[in-house]
Amino acid sequence: MAELQVAILGLLLGGVFALMASGLTLMFGVMRVVNLAHGAFILLAAYAAFFAHDLFDIDPFISLLVIIPAMFLLGVLVYATLFPRIESSPRYVEMTVLLTFGLAFVLEGLMGFAFTGIFRTANPSYATEAFLIGDLFIPKAQLFASLLSVVLLVGLWAFLRFSRNGSGVRATMQNRSAAQIVGVNVRRVSTISFGIGMALAGASGTLLSFLFPFFPSRHWQWIAILLALIVLGGLGSLKGAIVGALLLAVLSSFVSDIFGPVWAPMTFFLVLFLMLLIRPQGLFGKELRV
Amino acid sequence: MSSRKASIAILAVLALVLAACGETATTTTADGGATTTSGESPTTDAGDTTTTGGDGGDGEPIVVGASLPLTGEFSIAGSKHAAGYEFCVDEINARGGLLGRPVELIVEDNRSDPEVVVSQTERFINVENVDILFGTFSSLLTFPASAVAQQNGMVYPVPSGGALRLWERGFDNMFYFQQKPAEFTGESVVNLLDYYGGEGIVDDPPTTAAVVNADDFFAQAIANGFVGGEVTIPDSDKVVDLAPGFLADAGIDLVFDEVWPIGYTDWLTLANSIRSSGAELLAIASASPDEVISLVRALQTVDYNPKAIYASQGAQTEFAEALEGGENGIFIHSVWAPTANFEGQLAGDTYTNQDFIDGYTEANGAAPDEDEAIPFAVCQGMEQAVIGAETTDNAAMIEWLRGRTEADPVKTIMGDFSWDDRGLPIGRDYLVVQWQEGTLEFVFPVGEFPGTVDFVFPKPEWQ
Repeated sequence: MAELQVAILGLLLGGVFALMASGLTLMFGVMRVVNLAHGAFILLAAYAAFFAHDLFDIDPFISLLVIIPAMFLLGVLVYATLFPRIESSPRYVEMTVLLTFGLAFVLEGLMGFAFTGIFRTANPSYATEAFLIGDLFIPKAQLFASLLSVVLLVGLWAFLRFSRNGSGVRATMQNRSAAQIVGVNVRRVSTISFGIGMALAGASGTLLSFLFPFFPSRHWQWIAILLALIVLGGLGSLKGAIVGALLLAVLSSFVSDIFGPVWAPMTFFLVLFLMLLIRPQGLFGKELRV
Repeated sequence: MSSRKASIAILAVLALVLAACGETATTTTADGGATTTSGESPTTDAGDTTTTGGDGGDGEPIVVGASLPLTGEFSIAGSKHAAGYEFCVDEINARGGLLGRPVELIVEDNRSDPEVVVSQTERFINVENVDILFGTFSSLLTFPASAVAQQNGMVYPVPSGGALRLWERGFDNMFYFQQKPAEFTGESVVNLLDYYGGEGIVDDPPTTAAVVNADDFFAQAIANGFVGGEVTIPDSDKVVDLAPGFLADAGIDLVFDEVWPIGYTDWLTLANSIRSSGAELLAIASASPDEVISLVRALQTVDYNPKAIYASQGAQTEFAEALEGGENGIFIHSVWAPTANFEGQLAGDTYTNQDFIDGYTEANGAAPDEDEAIPFAVCQGMEQAVIGAETTDNAAMIEWLRGRTEADPVKTIMGDFSWDDRGLPIGRDYLVVQWQEGTLEFVFPVGEFPGTVDFVFPKPEWQ
């Protein structure tokens, strides 16, 4: 029973991790952008949700409806401003690393200036409530967040699978030059994908606002975990990001319960290390499909 | 696919580097407990210098040097310490200075860096020839700075540096201006339960306890005292054995004992583990009120209701605001409180805690908290040492300070101080406060000053 409880907590945590990681892996898969500012954008959305709740009493699940499209537009803007000009560089991937690394610092600085360094957590009533089933408890906030993650991820899957733009995205993920040759507007697809990646960051940030305490420089910790998740799953693989997130979250919950919380964060990096030794392409690294 | 491998390698390295970066993002308050050092460690010292005072009497000024963390990890507490020192020096000068001479305070920013605090302290002593040193903030910075002072025969009064390992090095120049080393915090908790047991209020005392703490200097020290750990003193083979610990002393069984890492987020899992232990008393040790808030929220979520919860942080208004009622019944140790109206001295006259609060508020437009009050008490102590020794000769001041007794103490706004051979206060208990229906009430020690109310036990159910 105790083990089941730990597994439940781990799965719920994994659901949110999966949403966070999906945006990051999508950006890499389509645009080969290693977006180190992903965590900072997640926090930006978290601040928006926090202040919406704190100042205007708007529930994060409502402010989501504004934050997701707003982040999509911000993503389109950021992509159009920063990335096309370095696209043709032979060192494109490395340059995106440096560019987004710098962007993360800029965002951190701006957030620190605007919101100060103090810890924030949105506190809707369900944040400290749980459903009790016998001896088991299912924390409401985590449950709602995971359900929303599932909905959004299914939506993303359907978009990629069935829509015309989605086909373009998948084609670009598989082979960028070939996609261009067969008439996919790669620039347009990239811009849309970056927007979607940012919208996913927006959604996960909104959830993060009431799940975890945050402050401007906290994004480094998140991006580190997310990088571990997507390398485990296979860079650019959406399925990999989701499986990686669930696996690692459950594993870290058990490590925390059995060996103590100090060892939990290490789980991510130990698994990352082992993965690179045994299967550097990640769980689903070969196939760049959805 | 070599570019792909290169990307994976880059990402892997980044993940590890960023994980390390993430760890520097801790905030600390109160004692600060010297947690992590920042990733950015400039080793040269430049820093801003500000000078205060120098107009309080005739003749050569008495120069005081204070190297404080005005930027970096401890910047919030460090800046407040500067404000506390500056206000005290202004108050002394307004009363005619010290030994008829004006007092001049030089504050330099050590950027929370242990190497910078050392070079600044050396420069104060050897280049600026300061007469007096005021202590810095945190165990981390006090540890090396006090060693420089000791080598040069200078008094090192300590506002913040509660880890026992600082005090077991055989130095004769250090004097602590808080009640106890962090390791002895648990004693106040146990004393409180024992006292209210005698009063019939804690009628069914807890028999089991869980102790959880952050992975830092200060929190670890508190936890060590509860569970009876060992403290190794650096640069010596000395080990201080705290066995069996304050919990065992009080006949309480330890059923759960865990440390959470810096940057921890998975509070629900920890709360679940604590709940599974069924402990009746929970002690939470951390230098960060935010970590305590996160854990308490998780405890609410898993519906774990122990008889009592002690936390090392949480006396701030923000704590109650964040928990919205969840703070009710939680008790916290504290080193200073506005309502604890101790009678101190300044310039030979009575100077109470209330005088300090009123004066500080008028001068600065905001009420002080403990990070201004403690340095003020340090400054009072040094002023009394100069008056008592009738000189700024540090050897004579050390002798005078070491000669203090409980009957003839240094009198500050934080109460009376006299010290043992290590420089630790004799006969001082922490103040203990408890959240009761939205108000922070004084519950212990009873009888030292007016305004205490009864401890609420058992802790009310979550609202």
